[in-house]
Amino acid sequence: MNAAAGMAASLTRDWGVDQPLLLLLLALALLPWAATPFVRRGIASIRLVPDDVLSRLLGLGLRLAGSIAIAAIALGLAGLHQREQAITRQGTGAHLVLLLDRSSSMDNSFADRAPSGDQEAKSVVAKRLLVDFIGRRPRDRIGVAAFSTSPMPILPLTDHHDVVRAAINAIDRPGLAFTDVGRGLALALDSFADDANESSRAILLVSDGAALIDRRVQEALRDAVIRTPVHLYWLFLRSRGSKGIFDTPPPGEDTPQANPERHLHLFLQSLGVPYQAFEATSPQAVERAIAEIDRQETRPIAYVERVPRRDFAHTAFAVAAVAIAVLLAAKLGERALTRVTPHGQAGGGQANGGQAGAGRTGATPVRRAA
Amino acid sequence: MSEAPGTHRPQAPVHTPLHAPLAYRLRWRPEGVFPGAHPGHGEGMEGEFRRLVPLLRQPDPRRLDLRASLRDPFGDLHVRQFAPRRAVAVAALVDVSGSMRFGEAVRGRVADLCGLLALSAVRSGDSFALFSCDAHLREEASLPLARRRGLEEEVRQRLMAVRPQGRGTAGLMEATERLPARRSLVFLVSDFLMPLDELDRLLDALWRHDVIPVRVADSALEDALPRWGLIEIADLESGASRLVFMRPGLRERWQMRAREHRAALAHSFARRGLRDFELHDRLDHEALARRLLEG
Repeated sequence: MNAAAGMAASLTRDWGVDQPLLLLLLALALLPWAATPFVRRGIASIRLVPDDVLSRLLGLGLRLAGSIAIAAIALGLAGLHQREQAITRQGTGAHLVLLLDRSSSMDNSFADRAPSGDQEAKSVVAKRLLVDFIGRRPRDRIGVAAFSTSPMPILPLTDHHDVVRAAINAIDRPGLAFTDVGRGLALALDSFADDANESSRAILLVSDGAALIDRRVQEALRDAVIRTPVHLYWLFLRSRGSKGIFDTPPPGEDTPQANPERHLHLFLQSLGVPYQAFEATSPQAVERAIAEIDRQETRPIAYVERVPRRDFAHTAFAVAAVAIAVLLAAKLGERALTRVTPHGQAGGGQANGGQAGAGRTGATPVRRAA
Repeated sequence: MSEAPGTHRPQAPVHTPLHAPLAYRLRWRPEGVFPGAHPGHGEGMEGEFRRLVPLLRQPDPRRLDLRASLRDPFGDLHVRQFAPRRAVAVAALVDVSGSMRFGEAVRGRVADLCGLLALSAVRSGDSFALFSCDAHLREEASLPLARRRGLEEEVRQRLMAVRPQGRGTAGLMEATERLPARRSLVFLVSDFLMPLDELDRLLDALWRHDVIPVRVADSALEDALPRWGLIEIADLESGASRLVFMRPGLRERWQMRAREHRAALAHSFARRGLRDFELHDRLDHEALARRLLEG
């Protein structure tokens, strides 16, 4: 009973019909087992007819064909289809959150000027490279978050790369004022909160600057990182003239206020999770950095592939057509119990006349309850 | 939906004159007291001459055979002795189970046959009884022993009206109990498609009587089977149906089985000294007359 219920449940999970009421017609599929498409020819004793395996198989097959035809038509009318399905597959990839800086400085070129001529804005470079990047990683689940004065959740982790691409395409819109990296990171970590998967998680922080992180925010970030271990990548789009994150400034100037980027780097290093920073000073450097990330985040991942709904009504009708063709062929092959003998029609002797009479009337069905 | 193939030719109207009565001869001497046409047991006054006996043995001078007495060199007086003429009961046990619907046999040739038998019996002073049986004795299609005029028409009408149905032939066993206690002439009309042991029991129950099995058959069936094709056959008695894929090999087997069944029947009859009369597509008067005169 449980097995049957389980089977029914799995059937209804994967398969569906548009008009469930029409499934009642399936009961008609029992008809061929009660009635026959042939004219029943009465015979005095069925025991005198030799038992024949081939005939029995044929009879069974024809009844089955009738059942199949009726059932297939009923299923076709009801609109049988396979539901849209999400199949979990194994692949290589990661769960990735792109954390994008939307501060207005991103609209400048690497020379820290308004882009002109063949110079590209940092956001445009980031956009182009990130689109390439996700194009190379079709199995990743990607979420997008942005930050400026305050963090902005844009996309939760999703398989729909079209949406991700659209979200990335939007980052070259004119940016906002400030850079609040800390809360942005907290938001990015939050988007992993309901992701119970065992896959590798990574946050790709794309920014061209940093700001001071509040102490309380720092504590919150440490907590969050302990809860959800992630890989951190920081793609630092360094403008000309700004301070590098790896440079050690002269003593006395090494304060978070003076070098927020360097201190963010130090803070991220101190979180105790795999962390890597790329300092990109030109589009080519950005490209190299992204290639490096691409290389590193290739761990096995269980990803979900969506199979769209498939209609089986046509298949059902085709099956019904085949079954009906079989039945039609059988019906055309039906014969009366006695052949019409041509010489009997001429009305020869008495015996011949009787035989012809039997043959002739044998060909015309007489309705009689068996 | 089923069909009874071999439906008989257009029904003869009820009032077509029957054939002339057939004479039949018994190979045994009926007992009984009713005067009739058959030489019976015992000594009678007239009828079929049996022998000459001395007057002293049968002191009946009215039957004195003068010519034989004068011719006797010893001068003995001879008296003619005759077999008494006795009537015999003729009964027709007709199987009207569902299988007899095949070819509308009961309405056609069986009714013809029984009508003719009734006519012949009545004309020769014998009484005739009709018993129609399926699983039980069918009273509405039976007639007790009678010798009234017009009996043949009654017999025909009863048989025309009966609709063969029901399974089995247990009614035939019931009918054997209704037969007269004296040896009588019994026509057992059936298609004999019952199991052979059932037939043996029936024939055992009829041991007392002179049984003429009349086998109703359809000669058209076995010869006219199609070589190829699908036929849905339905047993007229049980209603069980089955699809048959006809092909030459199966047709051969079918015909062989029919022949085997016929042979088994013939063997079963022969063991009791019986010989069946085949009632084919229509009643053949000549053959029946020949068969009856053979005794």
